Amino acid sequence: MQLTRRQSRAIRRITTHALLVLWSLVCLFPIYWVLITSFKFPIAVFQGPKYFPWLDFQPTLDAWKFLLTGSPSGAVLRSWLNSALLATSSAALAVLIGGLAGYALTRFRYYWPVLRWKNNDIAFYIISQRMLPAVVVILPYMIMFRVLGLIDTHAGMILAYTVFSLPFAVWILRDFFAGLPVDVEESALIDGASRLQAFRAIVLPLAAPGLIAAFLFCLVFTWNDYLFALMLTFSRASTLPMFIAGEGSQSYGPQWWYLSALSLLSIAPMILITLLVERYITRGLVVGAIK
Amino acid sequence: MRSGDEPAALSGTRRQGMPKRVSARDRVPSFAFLMPTVLLILALSLFPLLFSLGLSFTSWDLSRFEGGVRFVGLRNFATLVSDGRFWNTARVTLIFVVGSVGLQYALGLGLALLLNEEIRFRRFFRVVFLIPMMLTPAAVGYVGRMLFNESMGPINDIIRHVGGPAIPWLSNPRVALLSLILLDTWEWVPFMTIVLLAGLQSLPPEVFESARVDGANDWNIFRRITFPMLAPVSVTVILIRALEAFKLFDIVMVMTGGGPGTATETVTMYAYIVGMKNGNLGYASAIAYSLLIMVVIFSSVFLNSLRSRVAAAEG
Repeated sequence: MQLTRRQSRAIRRITTHALLVLWSLVCLFPIYWVLITSFKFPIAVFQGPKYFPWLDFQPTLDAWKFLLTGSPSGAVLRSWLNSALLATSSAALAVLIGGLAGYALTRFRYYWPVLRWKNNDIAFYIISQRMLPAVVVILPYMIMFRVLGLIDTHAGMILAYTVFSLPFAVWILRDFFAGLPVDVEESALIDGASRLQAFRAIVLPLAAPGLIAAFLFCLVFTWNDYLFALMLTFSRASTLPMFIAGEGSQSYGPQWWYLSALSLLSIAPMILITLLVERYITRGLVVGAIK
Repeated sequence: MRSGDEPAALSGTRRQGMPKRVSARDRVPSFAFLMPTVLLILALSLFPLLFSLGLSFTSWDLSRFEGGVRFVGLRNFATLVSDGRFWNTARVTLIFVVGSVGLQYALGLGLALLLNEEIRFRRFFRVVFLIPMMLTPAAVGYVGRMLFNESMGPINDIIRHVGGPAIPWLSNPRVALLSLILLDTWEWVPFMTIVLLAGLQSLPPEVFESARVDGANDWNIFRRITFPMLAPVSVTVILIRALEAFKLFDIVMVMTGGGPGTATETVTMYAYIVGMKNGNLGYASAIAYSLLIMVVIFSSVFLNSLRSRVAAAEG
């Protein structure tokens, strides 16, 4: 059977869209599953998979009530707030410190004679720090933090996360600053502004999208981290992923309804960020990888 | 200091406004702007790296934290060579890296090609496709444990409805590793998709138009033009994902806990168990360092084999 050009185009369009819809379902189903499981009674979990609230199981708020007002609520709230505090403050610090470095690497010419390093070598060295397996540096961190009394403190975790995020921040922001026109700041410099003034008044506002992208990037990576929190905290400064992992491995068996609600507390803010600022995240990702 | 070759060293990035040398008034800012980053990285990245190397030559028991350090030379590495559990974690990690990154690249490239077609709701698909990689791995590991549960999870249920057998996702050692690969793939295909899509969109459209005018079909265009032109981006994303995959820790901890037995135990997990649970800091550092060595060897083998393949294709 010979298809006309139009028919084959139509088939191709339909297949393309069908495959895209299929993958969307693959992406969304696990999230749907956690969501409905958090509204299940234990019996609706143990009777085997139930897919549709009201149709094949009766939804309940029990798990959410237990999570938010029951015995774990204090620990849940504390670890959620810890995660939020550590993620936002370390991301802000990383963007601030990394922004200065990213700017410097695009505006000043460096040469470190001992290593024969120039700007690109310095930038590459900085990003390569993020490529190392974190477990290599994590034991020394633990020892250093114990000696310095930083273990299980907010200050210590903010410090660790800032360093952890810094390479991303420098890498993303360096690219943004490189794309900004230098004419405006140069005329400001000629008019007598200092570098810092020009940076604050002219460069930073122009680089706002880059700052947001870098901030969100660092925020997401810190919010999602488990290894650092596991090694460097145990109670006061411990984070949500740690709490989730700890509850999940309890020996009394998985309380799926409760653990689903708990997971959603960690997942939901990230979904919200994705929906609101997908553009920035995508831009940050692409800068990180396409050079 | 040779200044003649500087532009070449800086080529590839836009540096239109960069002065030839730092002017006198910028001497302080050029130092002050970069120093905080450099100092932080030296103190909290380079120093721990060296510290860790030093540790790997010692025996240090966490329970006798003060004064428990003893230099033992290469003994930790000698133990490592004959440690069957370590070799198993190395094998698991390597299979995981190759399997998950390979699968992610194939799926990511396919999806990027689809998104690059003329489609409706592109923005919707882009947002939905991005979501998995934004989610907390510890929570994702837990979600995986639910989905793959053999009696109460939906995956086996769906397979049963279409007439398939019950698959021992978490109880069979080999299948458990596959489950981990699938879960990690679910989480990280988005990264591949988005970056490869950006790569596709940056290719010059004229090449495709002229190939089409010459009568090339889709498959030939993909094989002869798209894929080769996308190679630099492909290498980058594969390398970035592989480096991340070597560190696999969080989703395993939560989904399988390294089990059944030690069938899904990764190197990072083993270092954690030895260092924190057993308190053997020296041996744990040796394990961690061996992971670093694996990563370095893998990256250079990967890049070298690509380079020689490209050379062979061109020569």
